[in-house]
Amino acid sequence: MVTHAEDVSPTASSSELEQEDDDDDCYLSDQEDDALEESVLQVLEDERDEDCHWSSTSVITKESLLAAQREDLRKVMELLGLREHHARTLLIHYRWDVERIFELLDQKGRDRLFSEAGIPLQPANNAGSPSSTEVTCNVCYDDVPHSDASKMDCGHNYCNECWTGYFIVKINEGQSRRIKCMAPKCNTICDEAIVRKLVNAKRPDIAERFERFLLESYIEDNDTVKWCPSTPHCGNAIRVKGDIHCEVECTCGRQFCFNCSSEAHSPCSCLMWELWIKKCRDESETVNWITVNTKPCPKCHKPVEKNGGCNLVACICGQAFCWLCGGATGRDHTWSSISGHSCGRFTEDQSKKTEQARRNLYRYMHYHNRYKAHTDSLKQEAKLKGDIQGKISISENKDSKIKDYSWVINGLNRLFRSRRVLSYSYPFAFYMFGDEIFKDEMTPDERELKQNLFEDQQQQLEFNVERLSGFLEREFQNFTDDEVMDTMKHVINLSTVVDRLCKQMYQCIENDLLYPLRTPHNIAPYKSKGLDRASELNVYWDSSEQGLQSMKCSQDEHKSQPGFSGSSILGKQPLGSSSNNNGRPPKRERNDAHGGAALFDLNVPAEVADKI
Amino acid sequence: MQASRARLFKEYKEVQREKSADPDIQLICDDSNIFKWTALIKGPSETPFEGGVFQLAFSIPEQYPLLPPQVRFLTKIFHPNVHFKTGEICLDILKNAWSPAWTLQSVCRAIIALMAHPEPDSPLNCDSGNLLRSGDIRGYQSMARMYTRLAAMPKKG
Repeated sequence: MVTHAEDVSPTASSSELEQEDDDDDCYLSDQEDDALEESVLQVLEDERDEDCHWSSTSVITKESLLAAQREDLRKVMELLGLREHHARTLLIHYRWDVERIFELLDQKGRDRLFSEAGIPLQPANNAGSPSSTEVTCNVCYDDVPHSDASKMDCGHNYCNECWTGYFIVKINEGQSRRIKCMAPKCNTICDEAIVRKLVNAKRPDIAERFERFLLESYIEDNDTVKWCPSTPHCGNAIRVKGDIHCEVECTCGRQFCFNCSSEAHSPCSCLMWELWIKKCRDESETVNWITVNTKPCPKCHKPVEKNGGCNLVACICGQAFCWLCGGATGRDHTWSSISGHSCGRFTEDQSKKTEQARRNLYRYMHYHNRYKAHTDSLKQEAKLKGDIQGKISISENKDSKIKDYSWVINGLNRLFRSRRVLSYSYPFAFYMFGDEIFKDEMTPDERELKQNLFEDQQQQLEFNVERLSGFLEREFQNFTDDEVMDTMKHVINLSTVVDRLCKQMYQCIENDLLYPLRTPHNIAPYKSKGLDRASELNVYWDSSEQGLQSMKCSQDEHKSQPGFSGSSILGKQPLGSSSNNNGRPPKRERNDAHGGAALFDLNVPAEVADKI
Repeated sequence: MQASRARLFKEYKEVQREKSADPDIQLICDDSNIFKWTALIKGPSETPFEGGVFQLAFSIPEQYPLLPPQVRFLTKIFHPNVHFKTGEICLDILKNAWSPAWTLQSVCRAIIALMAHPEPDSPLNCDSGNLLRSGDIRGYQSMARMYTRLAAMPKKG
């Protein structure tokens, strides 16, 4: 996971960066008198679609998974003149990065691009095949009639029986996306249509799994799409266009950091958060086992277990790497090309280390105590919700001029969001000004300067958050109208101030602290209104695609996919429309609508609050 | 299961028929179990293994030939890619580069080729690998020759 920070595909983000600038939210005014009006503005603002950010997110459900990848497939098919299964093979190999494929096409040329991905350069023609009616299968050594054998694109011909057995073994091994031809040293990826046909005849259940694996490649072999980490799993995935450093909320309500799939943790970076969690939590047995027995693949980042053999380990994705240092290596290594590996060298000075360790522990305690204090407050304040709901209903039934109590709820939400930011700002500071990550990035003077700058902001925020909390805990249901007005004024004011301070702290972190670093370090941007909710995927069918769909449909006849057969009839019917058309599952109910039920603030990091 | 039996039976017949085709390799099937084979291979000439006869044990999975056979040296051998204690072999075609079109015979041939062309950068036997990596060809050869004499040649007298 550590490497994810560097894993941003530059091509994916660059094109989307020219979206709207993160314009200053207009309700951030310093004048207290305007506060009331501001609050009205703020409500309006809240309801406006949140589109002033760098990345846009959409939900991919099981049903829209095929539609989501169609665009990429179509682009590759059209521009490279490929058949669908070849386009898919190419996209799987290059991790669904269309722009990278075109870039590599320029650099490497068509032939190398294809052969590296396992696509035969020219389809084998059957003209040269002998006229004999039988072929000898080189796997079982039986002679079988032509009709019982299948020839792959590379020209290798084996009997269907052997192919089928081979496919089933490969699918069971989890290799559905890269089943190579059976011939020795043949790199060609098998035609998915043949796999589908043969396996389906014998084991429809496995064929279905194959189908699913192929479709899910779009999620699993793709840096811009991730599974929603909810448990039990909601079945959705999230796609991000633009900056992948963002925090997002799935339609199931789960909020997470897109980049690392753990709970939203900004202003901590993913690396900081991962280190922090590891430090805080007693590592579970599973994690222990995984860290002890596996290494992440440098290409696909999945944990790889060494099942024997030497220290040159090959991941199932095809990447070879050195087991000792985890660095990627070529498969064809010579003495000289791998000799640069200086892994396994131990240079730390032992005595220096122990002294350092004591200081580190002391430092960690300092930050952890504050971090924990704020998460605990957050837990306490979560109980406030119920109380406040009660107070509001009492107040509303009172004979009073004041009927609108939305300011309490707005204030409470602001409190939760800022409290969360505040608690995560401590682990951030722990790593930002510690030696663990940025040891050589700053001189001691620089560090002190920056630390002072940051801590000033943090202190201000902390002060105001506590004040806000204090006002919200007041028993306003027993107040006179004047007192209520006074409380309201303070809550609204402090909400605005706290929001501005949060924003400033993020700006300080992004511009003054992280930006000057030599190694890029990214955090998710501050969202004044809480996390982005991923939008439902909006796919418009193009009539020119109908051919494709019907092709797909004929292949998928055994699966019930009414959407695609339906949409080919419907023509340009947009899939995203929520009416009960065939192509779309009914929209999921969101447990919290934007406005009224906003009391259930999902920004509370439940896991954190519970476990640490 | 049936498929693997049929295929092994065919390989068995082929081995019987072409017994003299490759004098360096002698494949023997276990009398009672077609999934257990042993092979005797001759050390390739102009290598420190020349003159030795090495015994290999094949354990064949039920899904053979879709899965590779498990092969290890029974005879002690000093070679970078063979585990000195267990005889485990690090060879790509026995792991992820396996193709169902390989046979037991071709596996033996690949192992002979590996004996002649060690891969010191993926060592299972680090001592042996380090000798080669540091350029001590003479040291490697004399060690390998010694073990060939000790383990792979008929005892004199």
